Amino acid sequence: MLVEVRPTGRLRGKDPVDVTAALDPVLRALCAGAVDLSRVRVVCDWVQYKQNFREPVDVRIVAPDPRLNGRGADTVEVAVDLRRPVDDVGAALAATDDDRMYLEDWGPGRRSCIWQFNGLYWSHLRLWEEATGQGYESALPGGQSDATNTDGARELIGELFAIWDDLAARQALPEQLYVVELGVGNGSQAATFLDTFLEMDRAAGREYYRRLHYLMCDYSPHVLELARAAVATHSENVSSFVLDAMHPMTALSFLRFTVFLVYISNVYDNLPTDELASIGQREYVVETRAYLPAATAAQIAADLAIGVDALPALVHRLLTLGPPLLAEASPHVADTAAAVAFWRRCWEGLRLAERYVPLDGLDTYEIARGISGEALRPLLAATGDVRMHVGNGAVASFAETMPLLHPYGRLICHDLFVTDTHMYRTGFRGPGKYDGSVVNWVNGPLLAHIGHRKGFDVRFAPFAHRAGSFVQTMTAQVRE
Amino acid sequence: MTPPPRAPLLAAPLLATTVVGSWSVPEWLERAKTGVHHGSVSRGQLAEMHDMAVKAALKDQELAGIDIVSDGELRRDNDIDHILSRLPGVTVRNPVKAYYFDYLDVGIDRPLPEFEPGPLALAADFAFTRAHTDRPIKFSLTGPFSLARRVRTEAYADPAELVRALARALNAEARSLADAGAELIQIDEPFLAGYPESAALAVEAINIVTEGVGVTWALHVCYGNRYARPLWEGHYDFLFPAVLDARVDQLVLEFARKGDADLALIAKYGWDRSLGVGVVDVKSEQVEPESVIAHRIRRAVDVVGPEKVLVNPDCGLRHLPAAVARDKLRAMVAATHTLRTELESR
Repeated sequence: MLVEVRPTGRLRGKDPVDVTAALDPVLRALCAGAVDLSRVRVVCDWVQYKQNFREPVDVRIVAPDPRLNGRGADTVEVAVDLRRPVDDVGAALAATDDDRMYLEDWGPGRRSCIWQFNGLYWSHLRLWEEATGQGYESALPGGQSDATNTDGARELIGELFAIWDDLAARQALPEQLYVVELGVGNGSQAATFLDTFLEMDRAAGREYYRRLHYLMCDYSPHVLELARAAVATHSENVSSFVLDAMHPMTALSFLRFTVFLVYISNVYDNLPTDELASIGQREYVVETRAYLPAATAAQIAADLAIGVDALPALVHRLLTLGPPLLAEASPHVADTAAAVAFWRRCWEGLRLAERYVPLDGLDTYEIARGISGEALRPLLAATGDVRMHVGNGAVASFAETMPLLHPYGRLICHDLFVTDTHMYRTGFRGPGKYDGSVVNWVNGPLLAHIGHRKGFDVRFAPFAHRAGSFVQTMTAQVRE
Repeated sequence: MTPPPRAPLLAAPLLATTVVGSWSVPEWLERAKTGVHHGSVSRGQLAEMHDMAVKAALKDQELAGIDIVSDGELRRDNDIDHILSRLPGVTVRNPVKAYYFDYLDVGIDRPLPEFEPGPLALAADFAFTRAHTDRPIKFSLTGPFSLARRVRTEAYADPAELVRALARALNAEARSLADAGAELIQIDEPFLAGYPESAALAVEAINIVTEGVGVTWALHVCYGNRYARPLWEGHYDFLFPAVLDARVDQLVLEFARKGDADLALIAKYGWDRSLGVGVVDVKSEQVEPESVIAHRIRRAVDVVGPEKVLVNPDCGLRHLPAAVARDKLRAMVAATHTLRTELESR
């Protein structure tokens, strides 16, 4: 039996975790059962997100390689959240499908309906905020976005001016100077940037503001509407697009090789991702299956006066139609407010079952369009047995954004990045729930590797303008 | 200034189709090339793979109907290392690369000596290609100006002297290639567009390279194609009038991606030799319709006349998937045939 304790940083110092006490009931329960203990791995995490998709103790199957033609046996992984001790581990280990109301079939994590919930949140943010009485920024760490910072804007604009001065001297400065922001939040970053830009341009007398075109892009029409209001004084220099951050080229391909700055803040950690694991020198994809605990499902169904078996279909109607239309389409949902309440209860109860399915070679796995799983090989080879996020949505977005950049352009991204694959072995990196959205740390080394293969220098540094933040700043610009 | 007499142009059909140099690099070959640096593939194994890949690239070009083919530069990690790392007197600071396409860190500790013919031993590459195709071959050399941009040295007080020294080395290599039967050698200057103020120096160095070598000479200047991205933006006006003094027979430029407004420069400055017209965008995987390519060729023909037009992609095809590269070349050849038919009926 293998026992892996990941949050090693919590085993020492102030209020250390008593890992022995946490493991004792788990090991006793396992020994009391009939499972082949030589095929058990116990994995301990510290799930720091108070709202998440896991039970304190979960059981996962590690499926054998199909090439063994049935001669292999399953390995069982017992996942323990050290933050939430459980009294009756035996009951947790004995949980069966009867204890769950599944909402979907097994599939890679990025295909899970949790991402439809995530999309619903951004599409109907206004309704969610009205129901909770809180703006979404209050759900961010520290209650504010790291995107808004005058010092940062000033530094960035100064660097842009220097590049443009140099290009102008060589008669190579384009007439239009494009800046793109993906994920504009409430527009405060855009407003800060544009206000500072105008002030600095007037001071320098360069007339760059006249040539500046700022493109605000966001998945949420509601967010974009707020952002437009925030930059109303710059309306002649601003355009806005409703855009899926994973596919920037769908709307922005006309800007190929022309954008001097792409600014992204707190977007990548909110895009769909798979997780891959290397266990015993074999690669697995982590398949997930969303469910509601049976008791939660029964309570929600009873309150709506529907049979519990009808619940999955109603959830999917919610995800397809959104709350206002669900209220119109379903006789069991009185009005939009009731639909939002239903949404929130489902979201709160939502859990993910997991299993490990072997991959038949990394090249059979596609990270994003045109990017083979082979890109993961150096990371997996260097890290040994590890489970890591792929960041499929972040990779897709990043790969489609790089071609937008002018030869002297730069991509700047503030987000939760894993900056060394070893971090996957020492901490939990998601998924967690932020308000009504999903959060996963982003696989920085993979983005750096992919960027490098595309001729970009990709660097990470702690966010410079707020102390104590986990946020990192990723900078990508053309190498050589 | 009137250029001195040039070597006779390579015999080729009207509107000869050709490539700029590099061919699509399959992912397996990239892995093998990188694997050499990490010890998972031996140099001998890689050399065999290179032979196979070059033969396949030649066959692909022949099947597409290309008149003047190349070895696809498949033996080369990139446009710099294959040449600089072979040059006696050049020191490779760290021969191990994380990724094969990265540039080596190279330096020159003392001024380069004068070389006997063939210091780079590229004639063997040419001979292999010659043995596997009966079509005319274009053989490319990265130019002295671009090579100099990747060398770290304090051996030359004047950076221009380094450029000239590298040009002399390339001249020695070109003599060896000519002796091996090379008929068309192209000098690539991928970095020149980033240093427009250096056009005169680059041309001076090019003339050192071509001095006394009786082949057809081409000069390719683009805006960069490293990682399928332009390295610079701008216009070809920086080349003129300096390039008129270059002792080359063909000027090979990119027009497809940037548009062909710069054709006006060719007319304005009276470029009187052949023009390799980039009519296929190598930075896009979209295969241009034949009609679009034909239109691009037609506009070049209108400016310099059909007898001076060579038809080629904007730059090397290295970064395109092989299927896309093949389709682009087929479309280019088909469009050229359309133009030839048009011209014959005039």
